[in-house]
Amino acid sequence: MSLLQKLDAARDFQDQLGQLGVNAIGATIDVTGSATEGRIEGKRVILAGTNNYLGLTFDPACIEAAAQAVRTHGTGTTGSRLANGTYAGHAALERELSAFLGTRSAIAFTTGYVANVGAISTLAGPGDVIMLDADSHASIYEGAKLSGAEIYRFRHNDPADLDKRLRRLGDRCARTLVIVESLYSMLGDVAPLDQFCEVVKRHGAFLLLDDAHSFGIMGETGRGLAETLGIEDEIDFVTGTFSKSLGSVGGFFASRKHDVAPLRSQIRAYMFTASSTPSVIASTRAALKRVAQGQALRSQLWKNCERVHEGLTSLGFKLGAAPSPVIASLMDSPEQAAAAWQALLDAGVYVNLVVPPGAPKNLSLLRCSLSAAHTDEQVEQIIEGYAAVAQRLFDQPRAAATAYA
Amino acid sequence: MISYDECVSEIQTLLAQSHAGGSIVPPESDLIDELGLASLDVMELIEALEDRFDVAFPINELGDVRTIADLARRIQNLT
Ligand SMILES: Cc1ncc(COP(=O)(O)O)c(C=O)c1O
Repeated sequence: MSLLQKLDAARDFQDQLGQLGVNAIGATIDVTGSATEGRIEGKRVILAGTNNYLGLTFDPACIEAAAQAVRTHGTGTTGSRLANGTYAGHAALERELSAFLGTRSAIAFTTGYVANVGAISTLAGPGDVIMLDADSHASIYEGAKLSGAEIYRFRHNDPADLDKRLRRLGDRCARTLVIVESLYSMLGDVAPLDQFCEVVKRHGAFLLLDDAHSFGIMGETGRGLAETLGIEDEIDFVTGTFSKSLGSVGGFFASRKHDVAPLRSQIRAYMFTASSTPSVIASTRAALKRVAQGQALRSQLWKNCERVHEGLTSLGFKLGAAPSPVIASLMDSPEQAAAAWQALLDAGVYVNLVVPPGAPKNLSLLRCSLSAAHTDEQVEQIIEGYAAVAQRLFDQPRAAATAYA
Repeated sequence: MISYDECVSEIQTLLAQSHAGGSIVPPESDLIDELGLASLDVMELIEALEDRFDVAFPINELGDVRTIADLARRIQNLT
């Protein structure tokens, strides 16, 4: 395929999506003053398709910190961390993150995507093996490819399948990096992380956890799924993002077992890109404080999750997983999903439309994600929106569904 | 070591069930352009073959696989 044929193919693909009759990928959202409300095409909507799990994008302390930082330190660093882009704030954030997670060190990156690409491609190299969950985020696949290691996939959230594949590797396990996530962002399902740890340890491999989605929202103090399970010491490496519960942008790489700091001078995605803007660092630091003392936010979030999960189940929607901040409704076809997405928007509720090849297992989904900032009233409005969809889409009322994907 | 023919025939059987409407397609068939497999389908086909022959197929090598014959040769080399 020539370069320009690729453009044609991409245009065909967009046209196909366009035929679904919705503008789901290009929707422009005006957000003014609220973590949970915005305007799409002039219409007021409740935002239920973000990753703003704790609603911290409009936390007054975070906003104030960012505003002060931009006045004091300017709009950008205009340089990479290894050159002129490390300010006191960057170093402080890394110390605070490391203290919060109990890790030996932590490296902050410009985005979570870059953190994964940088960390994975530097940890593993030619001659090594990377074993990744089939449903891994694109940044994990990219990091793996870039590393030059041999890459194998195991079946999603399936420790027995991982076990079998590690067994096939034999003594190469000692050079193997296994990568899993915690809460998966599309279906809202949670990894059996304790079982993964056991399998990885038994084979003498290494485990990297991408904790993008459970960081801040799981665990007594918000340190994520591994804290809930009491297995933080078992995990070799952790990556994460500031763009979900922390409400800003950026990513990190850290470890309780190993000192990752020396990799600063090896990770190209750290060395050759501009560091985060001071205001971003400042709001992230403020958000981290809120996370650490965020029990009330977390219990509000989980209460909202339970309520919406229960509401959608009784409307007859087939859901992707047990209650979590990501509640995916499995639709019968991309067309049905698109129609439902539009109907929800008409009812004033914005969720994410996910159609093949974007979703795992070629599923078509409505991805609803919840926030601690959703009020009880908004939660009920979200459920009412789905009720309107159910009425338009289902020929007859459906019985409450119980099975997960 | 399993034979090339055995690999081809296993792939043909799996594809007959999933994509070829029950018929056996020739080894030169292009998995994506002719048989219409999506990249996820190719991954699933490979997972099934890995289990069938108890081998590990690195996904870095997917780029070199276009036809049933390519895939059979790669799998055969792994056993
Ligand atoms: C599992 C996972 N890892 C990494 C990322 C990348 O994070 P960021 O948005 O900070 O680049 C995301 C989110 O997009 C994600 O869902």
